[in-house]
Amino acid sequence: MTSRPPPDPAPAAPPPRAPTQRPRASRAWLLVLALAVVEIVAHVVTQSRVVPWSDWQAAAARVRAEWREGDVVTSAPHWADPLMRAAVGDLLDVRSAGRADLAPYSRLWQLSIRGHRTPEAPQRAPDHVELVGRVRIERWDLAPEPILYDLVEHVMDAEVALIEGDEARACRPQRGGRPSGGGLGSGPMTPAERHVCDPRRPWLWVGATVEEDLEMLPRRCVWQHPPGEEPVRATYRDVPLGERVVLHAGLWWEHERTMSGGEVDVVVRVDGQEIGRLVHRDGDGWKRIEAAIPEALRGQRGTIDVDVSAPNPHLRTLCWAASTREAAR
Amino acid sequence: MITGRPLGWRDHLVGLVLAVSYCALLLATSRDLGMARDEGFYVDAAERYAQWFELLAEDRDAAFEQANIDRYWENNHEHPSLPKSLFALSWLAHRTWDLFPEDSMAFRFPGMLMSSLVLWLIWAFGARAYGRAVGAFAAVAWALMPNVFYHSHLDCFDVPIVTMLTLVTYCYWRSLAEPRWAIVAGIAYGLALETKHNAWILPLVLLVHWLFFVMPGELAARRAGKGKVTTLVPWWLIAFAVLGPPIFVGLWPWMWHDTAARFSEYASFHLHHVHYNTAFLGRTYFGPPGPIVFPFVMTLMTMSVVVVILAIAGVALRARALVPPWLVKRLWPHGRVEGDRQCTDVLAFGSMLAPMVVIAMPWTPIFGGTKHFIAGWAFMAIFAGIAFVRVARAAREWAGERVPAIKEATPAVTAALLLAPSAIDTVHSHPYGLSFYGAAAGGVPGAADLGMMRQFWGFTTGSLVPWLNEHVPERGSVWICDTLPSAWRMLQRDGRLRDDIRASWDLAGADYAIVHHEDHFVEVDYQIWMAFGRVDPVYVLTYDGVPIISVYENPRRAR
Repeated sequence: MTSRPPPDPAPAAPPPRAPTQRPRASRAWLLVLALAVVEIVAHVVTQSRVVPWSDWQAAAARVRAEWREGDVVTSAPHWADPLMRAAVGDLLDVRSAGRADLAPYSRLWQLSIRGHRTPEAPQRAPDHVELVGRVRIERWDLAPEPILYDLVEHVMDAEVALIEGDEARACRPQRGGRPSGGGLGSGPMTPAERHVCDPRRPWLWVGATVEEDLEMLPRRCVWQHPPGEEPVRATYRDVPLGERVVLHAGLWWEHERTMSGGEVDVVVRVDGQEIGRLVHRDGDGWKRIEAAIPEALRGQRGTIDVDVSAPNPHLRTLCWAASTREAAR
Repeated sequence: MITGRPLGWRDHLVGLVLAVSYCALLLATSRDLGMARDEGFYVDAAERYAQWFELLAEDRDAAFEQANIDRYWENNHEHPSLPKSLFALSWLAHRTWDLFPEDSMAFRFPGMLMSSLVLWLIWAFGARAYGRAVGAFAAVAWALMPNVFYHSHLDCFDVPIVTMLTLVTYCYWRSLAEPRWAIVAGIAYGLALETKHNAWILPLVLLVHWLFFVMPGELAARRAGKGKVTTLVPWWLIAFAVLGPPIFVGLWPWMWHDTAARFSEYASFHLHHVHYNTAFLGRTYFGPPGPIVFPFVMTLMTMSVVVVILAIAGVALRARALVPPWLVKRLWPHGRVEGDRQCTDVLAFGSMLAPMVVIAMPWTPIFGGTKHFIAGWAFMAIFAGIAFVRVARAAREWAGERVPAIKEATPAVTAALLLAPSAIDTVHSHPYGLSFYGAAAGGVPGAADLGMMRQFWGFTTGSLVPWLNEHVPERGSVWICDTLPSAWRMLQRDGRLRDDIRASWDLAGADYAIVHHEDHFVEVDYQIWMAFGRVDPVYVLTYDGVPIISVYENPRRAR
């Protein structure tokens, strides 16, 4: 007897789907992959925008071709300053690079990158704009205020003395030798040429140096550290007086930024008559005053005294820049 | 009870391969890096220690005399001696067997070795706690952080202490369920103390974890009848207390005499640490309070944005597990993520944040760099690994539906794409690691625009060597600014810098002068103007167009 083979079993219903152990990951996570691509592209874009040295050189050549006496050049942003100076710094002397203000200059050039502008630039459109590679050249034509007499540059022509009661103890002019100092935290360089007031107090000298102001900007100025309540005096004789004296003064930033020092007085006299007084307090930074020359003396020649004193002279590393000028335009 | 997922020998082989590969990479790229300032100090110290080790080998009694200990171990005694002893031993080995192509590499090698071991640790921790994919991604992500890559090269303590802190944390974590690990934790803690003072803070972090998370959770779980997982006795803390101090003192000969006074001096140095300058978002800081956001912004700006986003996402994914176990039912009753009884997520999260929080505190001395909180980045990498797994799964599902053929390769491709920005950054950062800023800052020029710190330690002098070799005349002198004399000498010992070029400390008398461009170093520029009577540098070394070092030539020499 044969028996029919059992029919094929009906296909079983598929087993119920096992519950997924993990839910599906959200597609939103794929955005992180997109972000990775964006970051790579950003890197490429950043690299492509790096300003090559050749652009600085080409911009420098343009400035150099148009350069005139009375011009000055600056950079923006400030961090690019070494590049600007490497490119056209030979056109600047220490006096221009550490200028007190723009007054004496007839034209300001700016080499800038990345859309920056120096705060020193006039608040108006430049008179000339040119793009050389990625460096932007801008120039402002200024109305210069000619300097009649720069007291900083003539500091070695001055007579310097410590005023002690009615006595004036002369400081000894020292010429020759080499500047001394240097290194982080050591303050402005001591110039080779200076008036030495007291060898026992090596900081008590008067001479032209470059000091870093509270904004960390360079200032070519006369270091005249106060000895105390009685002043140290710099006397300039036979000075063309013009109409006013413009005086700036500041302290070495490391001594000013602590905001813990006392006041320093700077008094300007013309022919013995006080015409201006700058009281410098910590936080003032590079401070400016203008002192009018008495009417009777305008256009004449006369003697200018600059006295610096401080009730507490400790770390009062005052440095000033002053000049006689005609009336402001 | 085993802590986390068990790892086999193959896993540790992976860790070993990671470490060895990284060490090889560090050795291969070390020649590009001139010595940084602090490295020079530690070379000086290591050479003194090496002399003591030689004395120890020749005359043990003499070596143990206080006069000799003071003579050889006084140098740099504000820092413990373990890394410097390793530098010294490596130097001695090199001197005997000529192991390395450069002297600097001999001093640096122990640092590189310890820096490589942290990859193994991150891999092991990540794999055991969250899975192998997490561990692998985390280890590579850490290795490719540009600041980590730079510091990993050095004969310094900053990455070695990361290794030790990670090791102690790992051993502590293991000890919670396996008390025998407490002994290893205690030994590791002693070695960490002997590596750098950061270790003093670690028990506090671990105590918070144990006291406020592990203990209450364990007690609550036991009351709920869930059995015993972790011990209620802080064996780890006992081991720290019992083993830590003897190892700390035992391995540091300077502490063998006048121990109390010398320890007091050591503690005082760090409790009253000087402030270093740092520039941050346009302001130069000289003293506290530093900006609270400093470590967080620096983290964002100096590493790949993708890794930062992944780390934040990883934390978010594990957020429920960060709630104390005894609070989670009340605060966050429903959710898939469950913390374990060792509160691993909390430990990783705390270890990530603690170093940054310490630096962010307004009373903490200003240090400036990222190196003081990179220990947190190791755990950040682990959280990034957690999120990576989720991205990889999303990519796998997405690809599986569209291109099944590549489905299996998707995780690897995902990892490669996610880590590509880090890799590009790291390659690009070398040898300017400390000057590097990533996409979040707009790159190096963007960071300069933002007024961020440019560099420290004068570490870039090495990059100036080709110019100096080419331009400085025979027996010319260079005023070397922030370069440490021993770092300068090392460039000559290594044969990179011409032997006849002299370092000078007389600015006005030098033939050349250099300035390392940091915000507050601008003072040196002005000094050089006065000394040389000119304002134009003859060469400006740049990184992505941003000045790093200016070189001035003394016009007297040019005549």
